[in-house]
Amino acid sequence: MSAAADRVVNHPILDPALAPPFPVAALPVLRNPQLRKNVAHAIDVIQAKRARLVEEKTDWQELRTAAAAIKDETLQNLGAYLEQFEERCTAAGGHVHWAADAAEARRIILELLREEKADEVIKIKTMTSAEIQLNPFLEAAGVRAYETDLAEIILQLGNGEPSHIVVPALHVNRAQVREIFARTMGIENLSDDPKALTAAARNYLRQKFLDVPTAISGANFLVAETGGVTIVESEGNGRMCLTLPRTMITLAGIEKVVPRFADLEVMLQLLARSATGERMNPYTSLWTGVVPGDGPQNFHVVLLDNGRSSILGRKTERQTLRCIRCAACMNTCPVYRQTGGHAYGSVYPGPIGAILTPQLEQLRHAQSLPFASSLCGACYEVCPVKINIPEILIDLRARVTDQERHTLGKFFDPMYVGLRVANVIFSRAWLFHFAQWAGRIGAKLVTRRDGWIHSLPSVGGKWTQTRDLRGLPKQTFHEWFKDRERGNEGTREQESEGAR
Amino acid sequence: MSAVADSRKKVLDAIRRATGPATAGSAERNSVSTAGKGAEVHLDVASDYVRQGKMTASARQERFVERLREYDAEVVECEPEGLAAAIAAQLAASGRRRFVAPPGIPAEWYVDAAWKIEGFECTLDHGLTTEEIEQAEGVVTACFCGVADSGTIVLHHGPAEGRRVITLLPDWHLCVVHRSQVVETLPEYFDRCANRDQRSENRDQGAEALPKLVTWISGPSATADIEMTRIKGVHGPRFLNVILVRD
Repeated sequence: MSAAADRVVNHPILDPALAPPFPVAALPVLRNPQLRKNVAHAIDVIQAKRARLVEEKTDWQELRTAAAAIKDETLQNLGAYLEQFEERCTAAGGHVHWAADAAEARRIILELLREEKADEVIKIKTMTSAEIQLNPFLEAAGVRAYETDLAEIILQLGNGEPSHIVVPALHVNRAQVREIFARTMGIENLSDDPKALTAAARNYLRQKFLDVPTAISGANFLVAETGGVTIVESEGNGRMCLTLPRTMITLAGIEKVVPRFADLEVMLQLLARSATGERMNPYTSLWTGVVPGDGPQNFHVVLLDNGRSSILGRKTERQTLRCIRCAACMNTCPVYRQTGGHAYGSVYPGPIGAILTPQLEQLRHAQSLPFASSLCGACYEVCPVKINIPEILIDLRARVTDQERHTLGKFFDPMYVGLRVANVIFSRAWLFHFAQWAGRIGAKLVTRRDGWIHSLPSVGGKWTQTRDLRGLPKQTFHEWFKDRERGNEGTREQESEGAR
Repeated sequence: MSAVADSRKKVLDAIRRATGPATAGSAERNSVSTAGKGAEVHLDVASDYVRQGKMTASARQERFVERLREYDAEVVECEPEGLAAAIAAQLAASGRRRFVAPPGIPAEWYVDAAWKIEGFECTLDHGLTTEEIEQAEGVVTACFCGVADSGTIVLHHGPAEGRRVITLLPDWHLCVVHRSQVVETLPEYFDRCANRDQRSENRDQGAEALPKLVTWISGPSATADIEMTRIKGVHGPRFLNVILVRD
């Protein structure tokens, strides 16, 4: 187990098609106290900052409502807004491409890079590019991709995987970062002071920013009204990538569009506060097509569907696409806090990942994720665009179960056999009463003298593995009620007293 | 090429299948937005959030300064006639010698001003190369707007605000903000952008008048990627200084 555990911790699999189910993937993390400590520490810091700044905002709830309404309006008219974005962006000198799936997006981006004769590219952190597994693809095609966000550098140089969508390396502590940087950048005597580590990253990238003529980014918002693209960041690596190169390629999910420039007044107030607990992140950039004399003179947007349109068609699930990727849901989630992000087997972890990943995979993979939740509702409460995540989780659980119980392999699964039997019994009163009688006799066999069941056989064992079950009373409610009407009140109490 | 066109149709068809035909309520908006006149499309979105701040002018300035300082920006205030001297003082205190500035900064900021004389080297950006800008140690610019609520400075990269690159590569950014440019809330900034439309000739093409380039700056560049410890200064300017002009 421990060798397997090490493998999973060191090389977590974030491809939903290959990742083990959540309970299996979570185990090694739960057995790694250092990892859990790193995750808990980072989350505590974010949560404290966020709570203070959300508290300070008197119109927080009104902003949430407005943001949800803007996104709903967008999604209802998504085709029209995307066409409008395309028209305006093109008019401003940009080029818009459409990709139905990940493979198409990768191919379009590689073709653009080939046109530029690029063998290197600098990247602004984009989870969408991780979703389509762009870096390994480019690497195989002979294009070296340099991540420029500090957390992404840590992961890229350390051969790690993101465990969070805003601070992807939050599971790595300073000592580990020091080790990675010292080894890969060849710096001896590097201290583990975050200041020194940050400076090392700055030096490492400075010349790349000035030399590499092609950049790839994601997008936080696309503005239909103007054809503009917005990127929200902290370090300035984003500004470097979208200002210095000759060519800029932006990969954006189709749900990233907002109708009007002024809609940003709502989104920008929510995003930084909700994501990192700042009133506003240090840098937010908006650019529109190509501006002569300022920034890249060759600009491409790749609009990515990759399963999103299939989410759009379902009434309950559509709200998934409101997401602005702030990560507040994972920061508040009691499950994520224990398991960290890698257990989710996807670049989108936490509650949003638990609903987004299986849907993007159209329930062909990641079926365990909707069950990776206690349904406590904390994610819904913090969500700045009011996505009712528990509601969607329950809906997805039903869909996964429906899908599963019709597969041949699950026909003899004890749970489904049990449920089919229960279905027959529960619909016939006489059978139900008989089953109660038989069940009480059966229960006697496993009930200990103290009146408790400590272990059940077969599938029932899963329940009693972690808890005891109270033994059945001698009478059913029906029997007790009948007795009571005959004037034998109190029998049940006396008997159950006796049983104790 | 046809594969590309196919993807466009494929994605849009999938979206239209999913959203269905326009419902009665949104039919009108739909047809408008399909016609591509986005500015008029909007929207019965609830906007009960705070649009207009309620602070007095002086409280607003105070809030702006306080929030800037919270994010490690340095702020000084000056009278309009003392601006050139204030700039000179800031440059001197920065310990730096080589600066750039946008070509459109007001002449009174530097013509005959002390900092022209005191041996600072300041180059106006008439198409400087990236290498030349990288050599500069600091940059002096104006801005479009300041937002008190979040301590944000907004650049539209006009003639006095400069190309994006000049406020990016130099390590030290001095930004001049006039009190009249400071608004309390972010929506007030967006209103200012819209007001510009109404004054402009082509009012019916509102989108055309909206800014093509915007950079919202809230404090110097920073990261918290290592153990959530906030470190000032990564790739952007490590120092942000603001002169607030009492006009």
